[in-house]
Amino acid sequence: MSSISQNAPGKVALLMGNEAIARGALEAGVKVCAAYPGNPSSEIIGTLAGVADEMGLHVEWSVNEKVALEVAAAASLAGLRGLCAMKQNGLNVASDFLLNLNLTGTRGGLVVVVADDPAGVSSSNEEDSRIFAKLGDLPLLEPATIQEAKEMTREAFSLSEKLGLPVMIRSVTRVSHARGNVSLDELPQSGPKPGFDLSQPRCAFPALPNHRLLHERFQRAKEMSEESPFNFYRGPERPDLVVITSGSGYLYSLEAAINLKIEERVGILKLGMTWPLPEAFVLGYLREAGNFLFIEEVDPFLENNVKELFAQNCFDIGVKRFHGKADGMVPDVGELNPEIVTAAMENLLNVRHLPRPENYSRIAREAAAGLVPARALGFCAGCPHRATYWAIKLALALDGRNGFVLGDIGCYSLGMGPSGFAQMKTLHAMGSGVGLACGFGQLERFGLEQPVVAVCGDSTFYHAAIPALINARYNGANFLLLLLDNNATAMTGFQPHPGTGLTATGDKTPVIDLRAICEVFGASVEVVDPFDVESTVEMILRMIRTEKGVHPVRNPNCCNLELSETSNQKMEKGEIISNGVKVLILRRECALVSAKRQKKLFRIEVDQERCLGEACGCNRLCTRIFKCPGLMWDQATGRARIDEAICTGCGVCTEICPASAIRKEAA
Amino acid sequence: MSRGLKGLEEKVFQKDLCIACGACLSLCPYLRTWRGRVVKLHDCGLEEGRCFAYCPRTEVDQGALQRKAHGKGYNDVGIGPVRKILMARARDPIWRKKAQSGGVVSALIDYALKKKAIDAAILTLRDTDLLPKGRMVRNREDIFNCAGSNYISGPTLEALHKGPWQGEERIGAVGLPCQALALAKMRTAPVEKKGSIDKVNLVIGLFCTWSLEYEKLMVFLKKRLGEGCIEKMDITPPPERLFKIKMADGLHSLPVDEIRPFIRNGCRACFDMTAEFSDISVGTVEGIEGWSTVILRSDTGENLFIKAEGEGMIESQPLPEDHLNHLKEASLLKKGRGLDFLREKGLMDS
Repeated sequence: MSSISQNAPGKVALLMGNEAIARGALEAGVKVCAAYPGNPSSEIIGTLAGVADEMGLHVEWSVNEKVALEVAAAASLAGLRGLCAMKQNGLNVASDFLLNLNLTGTRGGLVVVVADDPAGVSSSNEEDSRIFAKLGDLPLLEPATIQEAKEMTREAFSLSEKLGLPVMIRSVTRVSHARGNVSLDELPQSGPKPGFDLSQPRCAFPALPNHRLLHERFQRAKEMSEESPFNFYRGPERPDLVVITSGSGYLYSLEAAINLKIEERVGILKLGMTWPLPEAFVLGYLREAGNFLFIEEVDPFLENNVKELFAQNCFDIGVKRFHGKADGMVPDVGELNPEIVTAAMENLLNVRHLPRPENYSRIAREAAAGLVPARALGFCAGCPHRATYWAIKLALALDGRNGFVLGDIGCYSLGMGPSGFAQMKTLHAMGSGVGLACGFGQLERFGLEQPVVAVCGDSTFYHAAIPALINARYNGANFLLLLLDNNATAMTGFQPHPGTGLTATGDKTPVIDLRAICEVFGASVEVVDPFDVESTVEMILRMIRTEKGVHPVRNPNCCNLELSETSNQKMEKGEIISNGVKVLILRRECALVSAKRQKKLFRIEVDQERCLGEACGCNRLCTRIFKCPGLMWDQATGRARIDEAICTGCGVCTEICPASAIRKEAA
Repeated sequence: MSRGLKGLEEKVFQKDLCIACGACLSLCPYLRTWRGRVVKLHDCGLEEGRCFAYCPRTEVDQGALQRKAHGKGYNDVGIGPVRKILMARARDPIWRKKAQSGGVVSALIDYALKKKAIDAAILTLRDTDLLPKGRMVRNREDIFNCAGSNYISGPTLEALHKGPWQGEERIGAVGLPCQALALAKMRTAPVEKKGSIDKVNLVIGLFCTWSLEYEKLMVFLKKRLGEGCIEKMDITPPPERLFKIKMADGLHSLPVDEIRPFIRNGCRACFDMTAEFSDISVGTVEGIEGWSTVILRSDTGENLFIKAEGEGMIESQPLPEDHLNHLKEASLLKKGRGLDFLREKGLMDS
């Protein structure tokens, strides 16, 4: 039994922030949990899915965040407690529903956990999701420690029920992914029976009375904010500087003050319930001190809200100094850390403390250089996406019309860089490559001559690309959609999705077939294995060459593709793939998933006699351009070699060696 | 300046001078052909390369190359070195029927293979899609499949690099003037690793005024003539000068001027109509149907022709004087046009 589901009040467990959030939800008696995976939020639902059976929960990976929130909200409207988790981008997707749900209100506790990714380490963007709480007049909690992550989550459910509103919890990477000791509380043994109250319809329309009601609830939330145990002050009575902080900023500020030995001079006003702002509580400190520093990750949310409060009260409390992102005292993009906070405090209080030498980071880098080899951001060894982008590169080069690839976020976003041969040229939201292709695919009439290609992963397809594909078909957009079907939500940790035949809790469920979906919209669909590079190149070329005038006679010798019967017949008649949206499914399981399930496909070896080294004339194509990490250039022998520890045996590199020196044998 | 792929890209591809002869293909993984074009796939990074050295559209001193290839330079710039010039045709009607004029090339390759003067030949095959590609042949049936022309050029020489060769084969190559020039450049190039050129002991060159670009022509023909399948294409001699296209629904004729826009740009930079770097050059005889003009240029060429005629494979006649004059005139005109083009485009290196 994992400590997550242990009913052991008082026991201390070492938990990851996201596990603590999951535990908090269990202590609150949550019944329905839903999410679409996204770093750094994914482990919340992953953890709950692991104990779903034993705890009697419904836990699901929903198709996208909006649906996930709707699923969790349904539990709430039926009187149960529901939790929905997502990353910052997910809230954008879910926001349309959220900003209607705030008008209808909720019943059972509903908690929306949003884990932001400051610096966009594993995201397409950097975004501060807290603004949505302000937008929707919703209570907002920001945990600063792992213990608090658990406590706040549990309390958020009661808060939600008291107010009849969804409550937002905003975590950040360093809270969600850090580990700490958490003291456990009791797990409830029973819950209410669900039912929809027919006397309480939940319609956002008419908006005016509902908006008025929302503001009344918000007033009550303000009162609760003043009383919240998550807001506190720590420091001297007459501080030279007050740090106003939330979330990860609290421990950074504490560490900086301790290191600088200025705890007697610096006060820390730590806010846990940051919206609605506990105005009276904050005003007390605004009145007493003169110098304020805001430490918070991503946007100046507290900074602006407190300044608003100050503006409203300045006549009474007099002139103050505010430091933070607005005056450049703290960077306005990226993650914070104790060094940044230390620097700001040193600056403002004119103190100097060098816990380590000034050139420490250079010395550390130099010391580590020999230990850690420099590694470029790239696809794993044997990743099907490398083969896919290789085929795309070849096909677009052969076609010769400067075709370009529109993408979105997923492992395949690495197609922007050298690992994907810089083929992917746009990256925005989930499914946006397909949406942009709907637009680019209309520009031929204005003279656009470049072929338009979109890429989209399988999980992303279910999440956000289906409406775009329908739009393409409906409005006659002309492009090729490459569906990179690796049978996994790989980037976020191999969560199952509707194409895998498994649910979050590991139960079997019907496979929603990608091909069938595309065909039902009337798109021309073909399927290839990207490891068969030459067939993939040939197929991409065939599908982007749609201009009238290519000679109709099919050359049976030019490729060995097994086309579907209809395609074959259409090809014979010379009518294959007229203008419109075409879909090519590149089907090959994620190498990391395969590796867990089966042995290597092939044993790969570089024939040291056949590899001609520098004399080949290939100028190290395998390690210089193809760059699979399973291939290495042996400086001593001047020949290519396979790194057997890394090679997954996909065999793609055997196709690219001009000397046929890379050989594969059945493993 | 790069004398590798980068140089080739700048001097040939970007100036649209590539005629897709195939000399640079299958030597490395950086170049590939598709639908009659040669395409750079990746940046190679080497400062020197065979691609640049073998290309008939990179710098060449034709006189020096002639001296190296034939032991002497030009004495008559009209049609290159000549031992003997005559008109000939294959005796076996099987060659005459499929070939463009007298079937001499097919008959000579067939004879050379039979007599083991060569073990294999590099010819040009046109599949049902009409796209020319190099083919290594070792027997009659394959020769037959490769006979004939359609005025579309393609990467024949790729087959020489591709092989596969087993060891000590001797190879005969049949190609356009640009391809004969590329073979001569391969033979004389100061590069360390040559490929299969040392195996080539017979070059038969084909007369050529220009050739057509596959993709553009096909788009045009489909628009002009519809969807049908093209079986054969030919150009009739002056004064008629018609481009004839045989399709399932009958024979279509277009004035040659209509297809001129699809002449390869690289052909406009060419000085050579009669394949001056070959052992034997063969072309049509204008106005005399079923016969080929044959220029014997080297010992190899002359010996092969005499033996083949002696054994009754081919028959010959003297080429009428006015035809010879006309040939020289046409050849000189092409040289003049080539020079004008280079001057106009500022492509002369000196």
